[in-house]
Amino acid sequence: MLHAPLLLVPRFFAMIQLYRVTKYYEGVPALLEVSFTVEKGEFVFVTGPSGAGKTTLLKIIFCAEHADEGQIVLQGINTFRLKPSSIPYLRRNMGFVFQDYKLLPNKTVFENIAIALKVVGAPYGDIERRAVQVLKKVGMRDKRHLTPPKLSGGEQQRVAVARALVNEPQVLLADEPTGNLDPKSAQEVFRLFRDVNMKGTTVLVATHDRETVRKMRRRIISMEGGRIVDDGSGLHDAQLTFLAADDAEEQTGGSGGEA
Amino acid sequence: MRGYGIFYYIAEALRGLRANSLVNLLAVGTISMAMLIVGFFLILFFNIRATVNTLSDKLIVSAYLKEGLTPHEKDFLQSRLRTEPGVKKADFVSKDEALARFKKELQGQESLIQNLGENPLPDSFELVIDRRYAESGRLEALVKKISSAPGVEDVSYGRKGAEVVATLYRLLTYGGTALALLLGISVVFIISNSVRLALYSRGQEIELMQWIGATRGFIQGPFLIEGAILSMTGSALAVGVLAAIFYSLPPDIVLFLSRSNSLDFLPPQVVAYMIGGGGMLGLAGGLISVNKFME
Repeated sequence: MLHAPLLLVPRFFAMIQLYRVTKYYEGVPALLEVSFTVEKGEFVFVTGPSGAGKTTLLKIIFCAEHADEGQIVLQGINTFRLKPSSIPYLRRNMGFVFQDYKLLPNKTVFENIAIALKVVGAPYGDIERRAVQVLKKVGMRDKRHLTPPKLSGGEQQRVAVARALVNEPQVLLADEPTGNLDPKSAQEVFRLFRDVNMKGTTVLVATHDRETVRKMRRRIISMEGGRIVDDGSGLHDAQLTFLAADDAEEQTGGSGGEA
Repeated sequence: MRGYGIFYYIAEALRGLRANSLVNLLAVGTISMAMLIVGFFLILFFNIRATVNTLSDKLIVSAYLKEGLTPHEKDFLQSRLRTEPGVKKADFVSKDEALARFKKELQGQESLIQNLGENPLPDSFELVIDRRYAESGRLEALVKKISSAPGVEDVSYGRKGAEVVATLYRLLTYGGTALALLLGISVVFIISNSVRLALYSRGQEIELMQWIGATRGFIQGPFLIEGAILSMTGSALAVGVLAAIFYSLPPDIVLFLSRSNSLDFLPPQVVAYMIGGGGMLGLAGGLISVNKFME
């Protein structure tokens, strides 16, 4: 695969570096002086209540939004110096998984994967092999001729993960990937994330899924009101408090989806 | 960047065209109407231009002589006319010769002059004028000078006809250009509309492609080619219809329309320009919509 300038990235650069990133939406701050570093191969959860800025954060990392202040350095590349025409090449190095899967409903599972390969100009002869390979990895090889509406939510999300992974990105970003899934399907998706992380892909997941976050014992960046309130690998007091509060919120039915 | 080349884009474009076939069919129809009008004017333009060229090639001034000049006087006049600047040749045409020519021109209708009795035509000198000399109003001065020469009764030259044709030609050039411009703009709009519909019907796909790292060119390519194919098809159709009409016209009408010159269909290069230009207009229409959509 050809990743334009990204091929020349030296090893010692961190995967994602944010320094005092601030973003306003019509005067209202969505992110306030957010700073953190994600090293190559890390698995990081971003948690927090709705409106905490998780989605905005991911969009900024994905160059779908511009930060108003601060610096974002992805594998040594400062995104402020990036020309708009270079953004597609940057994105090829990052897989993105959405809450609503974003599969094309009138194309088969196979075609949904193939489009990601065509977009990066993969040789025609490789498309079939690589698509089937990645579908096998997520356990969807046998359903490759079906269209997404015929699949369950969990299956659709697995296809979406396959699409994000087919070009072997260095980073996998996921925004509430299990938001629409039952616990069992959610577990499967997180198992997939863990597997790709074990093979060296950096994973950054924004999620509400307390259960999994607790179980997986990875680094957790907790956000609230656009700020990072905690960042650590263990479960600190503050995070436990947040999780408990969130649990309570759900029991009273107050938890909404991320906008 | 590694790409798939033009065939990938054409295949994608054709797929897109099939998806909206009714809208695209209407677009092709409308474009071919516009191109039909352009083509009709082009045919007029080229034929009138040919007429103008032949008319000004034959820049001949006839100097009619008074009755009863002696051969000596005629010789003197001829040598005098020959020395005029701008006159290349001065040939004597006797009244009998003139009548013979006239009869030939009236071919088939000789009866008109059968009862003429005496030959009413005068002797004349036929002067071939250098075209370069005749430019910039000097022709009028020359004609005046010739008509005042002793022994010359009257002078006639094809000024009127040439001027009428030249005016027509100018009118056609300006009017046709304006019309072509207007129709060209409408073609761009028709195409941009069709392409916009195609873009909307595939908005989801386009958004997704942007998320997964598609370059702008990769996304735009098929839509631009869609536009180009639409308007090239429309133009080709127009040329086809025009040719069908032109070649099925009865030859009498063609002769009547053209008088001396033969009426010609558009030269092949012009047909190529029409179709190619149509393609460019389609590309422009596509670009407008795609750029608006991508913002």
